[in-house]
Amino acid sequence: MTASAPAPFKKRVDGGAMAFRVIVALSYLFLLAPLLIVVVIAFSSNQYLSFPPEGFTLRWFAELPQQAGFMQGLQTSLITASAATLIVLVIGVSAALALDRYDVPGKAALSSFFLSPLLVPTIVIALGLVLVLGPLGLTNTYESIVLGHIGITLPYVVRTTLMSLATSDTSCEEAARVLGANAFTVFRRVTLPIIRPGVIAGGVIAFIVSFDEAVISLFVAESGRPTLPVQILRYVEYSADAAVAALSVVLIVFSAVVVVVVERLMGLKRTLA
Amino acid sequence: MTAVKLTLDRLTKQYRAGLAPAVDRLDMEVEEGHLVALLGPSGCGKTTTLRMVAGLMDPTAGRIVVDGRDITATPVHERGMGMVFQSYALFPHMDVAANVAFGLQMRRVAKSKQTELVRNALDMVKLGHLASRHPKELSGGQQQRVALARALVVEPTLLLLDEPLSNLDAKLRETMRTEIRSIQRRTGATTLFVTHDQDEALDMADRIAVMNGGLIEQFGTPADIYERPRTRFVADFIGRANLFEASVAAASGTGSKGETVYRIDVPGIGTSEAIGEAGLEGSQRTVLVRPHRVQVELGAQPGGLTGTIENVSYTGDALGYSIRLGDVLLQVERHTADGTIPARGEQATVRWAAEDAYVLPEEVRAP
Repeated sequence: MTASAPAPFKKRVDGGAMAFRVIVALSYLFLLAPLLIVVVIAFSSNQYLSFPPEGFTLRWFAELPQQAGFMQGLQTSLITASAATLIVLVIGVSAALALDRYDVPGKAALSSFFLSPLLVPTIVIALGLVLVLGPLGLTNTYESIVLGHIGITLPYVVRTTLMSLATSDTSCEEAARVLGANAFTVFRRVTLPIIRPGVIAGGVIAFIVSFDEAVISLFVAESGRPTLPVQILRYVEYSADAAVAALSVVLIVFSAVVVVVVERLMGLKRTLA
Repeated sequence: MTAVKLTLDRLTKQYRAGLAPAVDRLDMEVEEGHLVALLGPSGCGKTTTLRMVAGLMDPTAGRIVVDGRDITATPVHERGMGMVFQSYALFPHMDVAANVAFGLQMRRVAKSKQTELVRNALDMVKLGHLASRHPKELSGGQQQRVALARALVVEPTLLLLDEPLSNLDAKLRETMRTEIRSIQRRTGATTLFVTHDQDEALDMADRIAVMNGGLIEQFGTPADIYERPRTRFVADFIGRANLFEASVAAASGTGSKGETVYRIDVPGIGTSEAIGEAGLEGSQRTVLVRPHRVQVELGAQPGGLTGTIENVSYTGDALGYSIRLGDVLLQVERHTADGTIPARGEQATVRWAAEDAYVLPEEVRAP
């Protein structure tokens, strides 16, 4: 090896790093391009959904509150997503606790059962729900949507909580018990604070998944309680103006705010890790 | 603090039917204010025993009695014990003061009293200035002390320590040994201490229970355990040991502490003397000689056992020899005196005073 050898070697690494950066940038561009186009259209003065814009305006945003369908859908979505998230947190955290901390019979089977909705196509779940809820007269209600969303969001909460539990030290709970805390106090004062990142991450994901979900909502409550995604679907079917793009921008900002708040409060990286 | 007496009565834990019990019909008495070490290799049942006493694990059979009161069925949180875990188990989301105050809150101690007791407990472990730190901002030794303060602040009936020093570096471990011992003496708390480190047990404990395979091999003072081990396992586990089989011949006198002095015959090597319990004449027994109690002279000398030096290790303070005597490879350790280091292959004669060799009361176990 001559003394000059390290120089070209270093240059090659730089070239590789540059190529890597370009590829990453292109990948991001590819992933974000649809969003960028939607954002641009939301401010476009074109009469119909089209690209490129001929001018810019805020009128689509101003029109949003007048769209009764959107407002009603937003209300339904907020109510159902909140209810589903609360219920799924109670069920999911309890299930994860039982699976991780106790000797439940059929642990492995239960564990796969709780994660199985991730593997079943949502449309199959939706169809099954309609077949069951229809005869019971439960379709087109808040309850039907909440029920369906509990099923599909449960795996996320169980998963994130299990991850937090797996990395926590059970001897903290034992220490609390020895110090005189009963089972409920141990959970409230020790276990829950320790697994909080996983619980919050699960809750946020559950809320976003439920808020965003269209297939189940469409099947079980299309005519009675259309959620916001269902209303958007309908709107695009019958109209072609940019109000829907403006709404999308609002939703993007909303999601981003949630993520930023969680990140600020506890670090999303830590909650997902 | 009023010290309590702990009695374990045929305490047994069997994890699964068909499996050998982890703890097998254990009987033990811990006197008021004593520090008792449960000492043994991993898997000997020492931690299981401690966890049963704490109430973190249910015994399969037997009783745990504190001051005459059977607490076997009392739930953990009503036992009023203090425990220090191997991992310290400090609550990561609470600061030091809140960690220490936790047990007081559970006992509904008045807020102002809590503050005072927490301050006293932290002063005791010399951490008063770190009360508002979080556990992850503390060193291992500091965390250890917080754990100790948290366990002691509630004035526990019984203090349980589960390998509390094993996560500290060697130097800190020595300091903490002394510190734990002095705090334990001051509070007078009856203490059960789990360790696999014999030095720790010998240094700290009033009594040591040497455990093996779920059984107590021997329960006694550190000096008893070291000088008068009852079984080969104990002799081998505590300190360094030369153990060899010998035929115990007739008694030839009485030692200074009343033991019987025997002539022993080591097959193929020669005869010597050793002390032991009365009534061992004519039996086959294991004899223990500690390496540093063996006298050694170079060359073949009369009145001793002569062998060949197989290995010499020089560590500055000490000179270690491995001397081949027939089937026995005798380990000898001497302080270096005049700087002469004998060569391998040289002849050497070893001898020991009768009181430095001990005939184990345990019958020779079939190999």
